[in-house]
Amino acid sequence: YLSNTSTLSTKMAKSFPEEVLEHVFSFITSDSDRNAVSLVCKSWYEIERWCRKRVFVGNCYAVSPRILTRRFPEVRSVEIKGKPHFADFNLVPEGWGGCVYPWISAMAGAYPWLEEIRLKRMVVSDEALELISTSFCNFKVLVLSSCEGFSTDGLASIAANCRELRVLDLRESEVDDLSGHWLSHFPDTWTSLVSLNIACLGSEVSFSALERLVARSPNLRTLRLNRAVSLEKLHNLLCRAPQLVEFGTGAYSSELRPDVFSNLAGAFSGCKQLKGLSGFWDVVPAYLPAIYLTCSGLTSLNLSYATIQSPDLVKLVSQCHNLQRLWVLDYIEDIGLDALAASCKHLQELRVFPSDPYVVDPNVSLTERGLVAVSEGCPKLQSVLYFCRQMSNAALVAIARNRPNLVCFRLCIIEPRAPDYLTLEPLDAGFGAIVEHCKELRRLSLSGLLTDRVFEYIGTRGRKLEMLSIAFAGESDLGLHHVLSGCESLRKLEIRDCPFGDKALLANAAKLETMRSLWMSSCSVSFGACKLLGQKLPRLNVEVIDERGSPDSRPESCPVEKLYIYRTVAGPRVDMPPFVWTIDEDAALRV
Amino acid sequence: MELQLGLALPSVPLSKGFDLNSCGYEAKEVLGGFDSILDCNVEKSSEEKKRSFDEAFDVQSVQVPETLPLLVWNQQTEHNYPENSSSSITRSDEEEEEDGIIGWPPIKYQRKKLCHGSLIRDANCWTVGNGESGGGGDGGHSRRSNSTYVKVKMEGVTIARKVDLSLHHSYQTLTHTLVGMFGRCQEDVKAYKLTYQDNDGDWLLAGDVPWGTFIRSVQRLNVLNNGG
Repeated sequence: YLSNTSTLSTKMAKSFPEEVLEHVFSFITSDSDRNAVSLVCKSWYEIERWCRKRVFVGNCYAVSPRILTRRFPEVRSVEIKGKPHFADFNLVPEGWGGCVYPWISAMAGAYPWLEEIRLKRMVVSDEALELISTSFCNFKVLVLSSCEGFSTDGLASIAANCRELRVLDLRESEVDDLSGHWLSHFPDTWTSLVSLNIACLGSEVSFSALERLVARSPNLRTLRLNRAVSLEKLHNLLCRAPQLVEFGTGAYSSELRPDVFSNLAGAFSGCKQLKGLSGFWDVVPAYLPAIYLTCSGLTSLNLSYATIQSPDLVKLVSQCHNLQRLWVLDYIEDIGLDALAASCKHLQELRVFPSDPYVVDPNVSLTERGLVAVSEGCPKLQSVLYFCRQMSNAALVAIARNRPNLVCFRLCIIEPRAPDYLTLEPLDAGFGAIVEHCKELRRLSLSGLLTDRVFEYIGTRGRKLEMLSIAFAGESDLGLHHVLSGCESLRKLEIRDCPFGDKALLANAAKLETMRSLWMSSCSVSFGACKLLGQKLPRLNVEVIDERGSPDSRPESCPVEKLYIYRTVAGPRVDMPPFVWTIDEDAALRV
Repeated sequence: MELQLGLALPSVPLSKGFDLNSCGYEAKEVLGGFDSILDCNVEKSSEEKKRSFDEAFDVQSVQVPETLPLLVWNQQTEHNYPENSSSSITRSDEEEEEDGIIGWPPIKYQRKKLCHGSLIRDANCWTVGNGESGGGGDGGHSRRSNSTYVKVKMEGVTIARKVDLSLHHSYQTLTHTLVGMFGRCQEDVKAYKLTYQDNDGDWLLAGDVPWGTFIRSVQRLNVLNNGG
């Protein structure tokens, strides 16, 4: 085991040649273990940094490209995250930041052998994509998750220049879809493609180009098409790629024609390795039986775009006895979740999305009962995302008792501040039971009517909690204080529309240096408090995001619109847009 | 870049004159100091809770976890030049602008597109009922229920903005505000013309239809130079 005593480490350093240590370190893959190794002694730090191949940057502004490339000269794989999570819900104004170009530019010089780039919530320009495609001769993996800022022209450069490309995954990115021709830029020879995900693209790609690409990609295991690919042609692709493990359809609708159906069913049954299905826009239920033969092998099913009713969903899901992950719309209803609980005993992850999130009255019969049923019937359930319109403390307590193995619990009761619908009380006790029983809980999202008390439970019981999302909850600073003074493992805290102000934040300021980031919007944190934090804690960037103009034009006691605080070794940003202010050590307001 | 050779976890370097980890500080002291610096904006609800809040702090000093620096950095900041940004990509026309509470319920925009075939504004609105505030203090944090934000671009400016149309009742105040929002001199309003995209996707010159009609159909705005 790694020892901290200097005599032992000196001995080890002298007795083991570097090559041996390097070989040992190559078995250590987790980032936290690698970080621990680098702290043992100076020589271990040096050896470790020279052989680290994979780096994860959880916040692109926490460290600079230069620091990264200087410390780790031999990196082959990089993962970088940009905007805060609430950017997914339009809470981060456009132009805030998260541009990847400076990173690509630095890595182009420092890492000619770079193979993998994974980005999340970053702004990626066509220039950045082109630079990637021409800088790394061995480039293999590009994953752009919830990114934006690029067009199909950028994709064309990647397709044309990255001869070793294995993965091109555009998951949920926003792409300026100029045309479908970019796909034709893949070379005419055999490709090494293993995974292609273009589900987010709006416009049509040339089907023949797609077909030919699939035909010359013998290693293809994952193919996720976009909505524009029609159902009638799907069998052509599937027949050329019977080795597929994960497949995403396009629009799953067509006129009812027996030849189309039989082609489709035949093609699906030919894919003996299929484990995951997705897509299913615009589903015509009559075509669903075409996939029935694949159901027993499926471990992952994403029906979250499938606007079909409960009976059809039940027929499908109850055949998927090996299902581990299900994403579905609330059309499944309580009755469908009962069937799920009865049929899918290996279920680990359930996400239920709202079909009609903007109306007050329920359009489907999905309540807390469905979730309770799944928690009872699925012993391996560990991850839940559930949108519903009513919840009770009793249900939450039942869920907590049924499933102490929950790791991720995100509940969204659609109406803000909705109480326990049976007792009209706050849901403090229910969520308290969740953190009490689920001792391995790492991620929690709260909703409904909540007082400060729930935060006391979370602060004291949520010992492994790493990410907490709070909206329209709490009564006073005491709530925030409970969280910040407890929650030993907290890394990310995001809060909107809560009556939390200066006191709790200032009293627990040091906690912020132990976390990746804190987001607070529409709360009561004053500009004066932000200034103080920025001044006193130089290792934090305190960003005030306010579209009303400079905070100096208002009294210091005036609350800021949005606040984003994160620890950093890179100092203040230099790429801030006009509506973001940061405070440096001189308490000078920087734009 | 220096590495600290530590037998134990490295101690946190002191920030200039203010360190929350060492010195066994007590939160109450901290609060006392802050009260004098800040004009504390104490809400009514937290006043009522004040006693229990102070009690919580009085009992024991707050346990503040020590930070573990993986790197000890020097204070020189690395200057990164901002990206020569390409034009910001505007979202596809199918993006629905939100009324009511922005970003609630928390679903990504790709899923929002699924929910309603049409772009009827009222149907996509999550509004908070009046008098619904549970817990203490209305806080005044939720946006007014009829607020209407639309995206605005100005010719020659990369970054788009958003404007709350419900704050305006005439083309004049709207144009004034938009010009000011982009940092232009508001006396030069005549140098700009305002166009908008209606819910058929057509771009029209603002001002031709009555304000009420405009408000119901506007999806996004463009401020152009009136160069002729």
